[in-house]
Amino acid sequence: MTETSQVVLDIADLHAWYGESKALHGMNFDIREGELVTLLGRNGAGKTTALRCIMGLVRKKTGVITYRGENVAKRAPEIIARRGIAYCPEERGIFSSLSVAENLELPPVIAKGGMTVDEILELFPNLKARWQSPGTKLSGGEQQMLAIGRILRTGAKLLIFDEPTEGLAPVIVKQIAVVLEKLKARGFTILLVEQNFRFASKLADRHFVVDHGKVVERFSRDELAGNEAKIQAYLGV
Amino acid sequence: MAMMDLIGVPPTLLFGQLLVGLINGSFYAMMSLGVAIIFGMLRIGNFVHGAQYMLGAFGAWYLMRLPELFPGLGLPSIGYWWALVIVPLVVAVIGALMERIFIRRVYDLDHAYGLLLTVGLAMAIEGAFNVYYGAAGQMYGVPESLKGGINLGFMFLPIYRAWVIAAAIVVCFGTWYMVERTKLGSYLRAATENPDLVRAFGINVPRLLMLTYAFGVGLAGFAGVMAAPIYQVSPQMGQGMIITIFAVVVIGGMGSIFGAIVSGLMLGVIEGLTKVFYPQASATVIFIIMALVLIFRPAGLFGKETTSHSVADVSSGRSGSFLENGRLWLAIFTVGGVALPFLVYPVMGMKILVLALFALAYNLIFGCVGLLAFGHAAFYGASAYVTAHAAAAWGLPTELCILLGVMVATAIGALFGWLAIRRQGLYFAMITLALAQIIYFYGVQAPWTHGEDGIQSVPRGMLFGVIDLSNTLNMYYVTLAVFLAGFAFIYRIIHSPFGQTLKSIRENEPRAISLGYSTDRFKLIAFTLSAMLSGVAGGLKAIIFQLASLADVFFMTSADVLLMTLIGGVGTLLGPVVGAAVLVTLQRELATLGAWVVVVQGIIFVLCVLFLRKGIIGTLEEFLANRAERKAKQTADHTEATTKITAAP
Repeated sequence: MTETSQVVLDIADLHAWYGESKALHGMNFDIREGELVTLLGRNGAGKTTALRCIMGLVRKKTGVITYRGENVAKRAPEIIARRGIAYCPEERGIFSSLSVAENLELPPVIAKGGMTVDEILELFPNLKARWQSPGTKLSGGEQQMLAIGRILRTGAKLLIFDEPTEGLAPVIVKQIAVVLEKLKARGFTILLVEQNFRFASKLADRHFVVDHGKVVERFSRDELAGNEAKIQAYLGV
Repeated sequence: MAMMDLIGVPPTLLFGQLLVGLINGSFYAMMSLGVAIIFGMLRIGNFVHGAQYMLGAFGAWYLMRLPELFPGLGLPSIGYWWALVIVPLVVAVIGALMERIFIRRVYDLDHAYGLLLTVGLAMAIEGAFNVYYGAAGQMYGVPESLKGGINLGFMFLPIYRAWVIAAAIVVCFGTWYMVERTKLGSYLRAATENPDLVRAFGINVPRLLMLTYAFGVGLAGFAGVMAAPIYQVSPQMGQGMIITIFAVVVIGGMGSIFGAIVSGLMLGVIEGLTKVFYPQASATVIFIIMALVLIFRPAGLFGKETTSHSVADVSSGRSGSFLENGRLWLAIFTVGGVALPFLVYPVMGMKILVLALFALAYNLIFGCVGLLAFGHAAFYGASAYVTAHAAAAWGLPTELCILLGVMVATAIGALFGWLAIRRQGLYFAMITLALAQIIYFYGVQAPWTHGEDGIQSVPRGMLFGVIDLSNTLNMYYVTLAVFLAGFAFIYRIIHSPFGQTLKSIRENEPRAISLGYSTDRFKLIAFTLSAMLSGVAGGLKAIIFQLASLADVFFMTSADVLLMTLIGGVGTLLGPVVGAAVLVTLQRELATLGAWVVVVQGIIFVLCVLFLRKGIIGTLEEFLANRAERKAKQTADHTEATTKITAAP
């Protein structure tokens, strides 16, 4: 299915700097419509930087970021978001001065086809009970659910998650895996940054291994299983 | 009314002042609301808010006088009600332009620059109006529909005043509702916490910030129109107010919109009541309350304790450079200083030296510790007053007079420092500014300072009973000696272990704390030292110019010393000296411009913040460092090449 579908996001020769220090050294990867793709790698490999580049949050960068045929590398973050990319940051980014309701309803709707609040609460029933509490009074797991739920309303078709399982209890990690599968089934395209390989391996169609600011290995789901690995890889290209 | 008689105050006076207090409080609330919103969202201490308020009042006055201003065009006179709609919008648009052109450029920089930039803008705008309209106020009548009043039995209530209070309350709580309860408000609050993420959700945060600034400024314009029929429309109307507003915002708790509104109204009333029961303190009561709040609730009455952000590292000095070589420059200044009176008027030389010493003292706290102090006029001016009084009224020997002045400045410095170091960054600036205002109002009111006249004809006397200071050259060389001693002393401090600790606090305060330094104690000592040396400069100034006046304690003196340090290069050894020389020369050259000087100075402030943040010395330092680096690289390449050739068989 994935190999024939259209490329949604294509990252080509991406270099990025924080001040004097270089974080990305020519990164290349792509995501196709309806895929769930992971960037795997150690701390400091450049995964988060790559996501921040896609969202336009890193200014000092070169390279081409093509989203649905348009190079968005020079665009402002708010423009990129309105093209249909939703971002769930590391550390969740829940606003403490906003209630759960306000946090959930904060990102503006940019296109039709987003989930309704009721659908999101169905996905994360815990949030319902905490509807009026300040966002940061929630537990870590609840905050992560809020951070994920928040970006489902907007109608964005490409969802980017930065380490959604970081520091969470195994039972909640499982719950998040279920949610990601449901989202994929709904037709969302998902880019996931993970260190938790066990979590990622069950979910992703393809994996990109990031090291020292570039992609060093790429596997499809089946190559991981060691089954028909090479054939799929050829078909994929 | 028997109850009133118990307190011994006639009820008409009490209620009258209560009403005046409520009116003032309404304006405080509207103004501090705007300042709090702008600070909360943009992290800018909007010093130009007072000027924007003044623009509002003048806007109403202009609209009223359109036919007289443009006689040929046959324009109608536009009255109060239309002004109330048009003027805030116009002021908001001016604000949006200011944000676009100036303020946007400093968002990524330290808070200090935002404050400096708006100080410069305020000086330029208020200065320009001062050129055209002078100190005299313009009259603006109460609109026909709001004339008259109601007799409440115990007092007469003018309708316009009741309208002001009602309108202010509606506007304030409407704004509060908008920020705290609406969708737009949730964007604003979220953008305050994490602007990048809010942008990544598709919200145009830069535009949101511009609109926020425009809205806050529009509130000031609205307050200005409301004020026109009550207060006189004058260029100075916002200048004193902004300092009070800063104090109100500190009391309410920075970033707390509710706090700003409630404290504004409350402090207006308290100020009014003080006028009834203890009129001497009415000008300073708000600042005294601020000091008390800082002691007992440093975060403000309604503020939440935030994690303290570190101090400002705006220093542009580079250790090891010859520009930082104190011994070399001490020698150069000695030789140059001895020769100076043969090149320029000794009086001008003395002015440069005294201000250079003052700027050096200031640099000790702003450059070395990174604390943006904005009230050094208090130490400089207090010492000048005490020295002048001791010499003129008590006839004490000159050296003892200066010593007394320095002691008083040091004591005030220790007290203010003790209060101010509880907060950092912009708060520190606002607090020192407000505390210095206490000294200013004391200078206005106390009998021995002689109000507007100041203490004049201070005898210079005989130094140690030997050196006749009435001789200008003698005075000059004594000034030079004091300057050189001060310069050497400050150089010594900076290069002592104590100075190194200060530097570590500036660069990374949490790290200094984790290494076991009680950073607050170090900051307080540095602040007190800075106040002490400012006192030396102030005392010396009173003797040289035989005058101590309100100008010495006025906040403009604090702005001047900051400007000198900024022009020269914050945190550099020579910067303050160069800055003082530049500013004194400039002021002398511009003297023919008269009232325009303030405007020019304001523009210099703005230009320095935008284009010359490292100052003259800092920029020179950067140039030298780059050149040295290039040279080193060239030499390295050359050596490499030579080695290769030699190595070849």
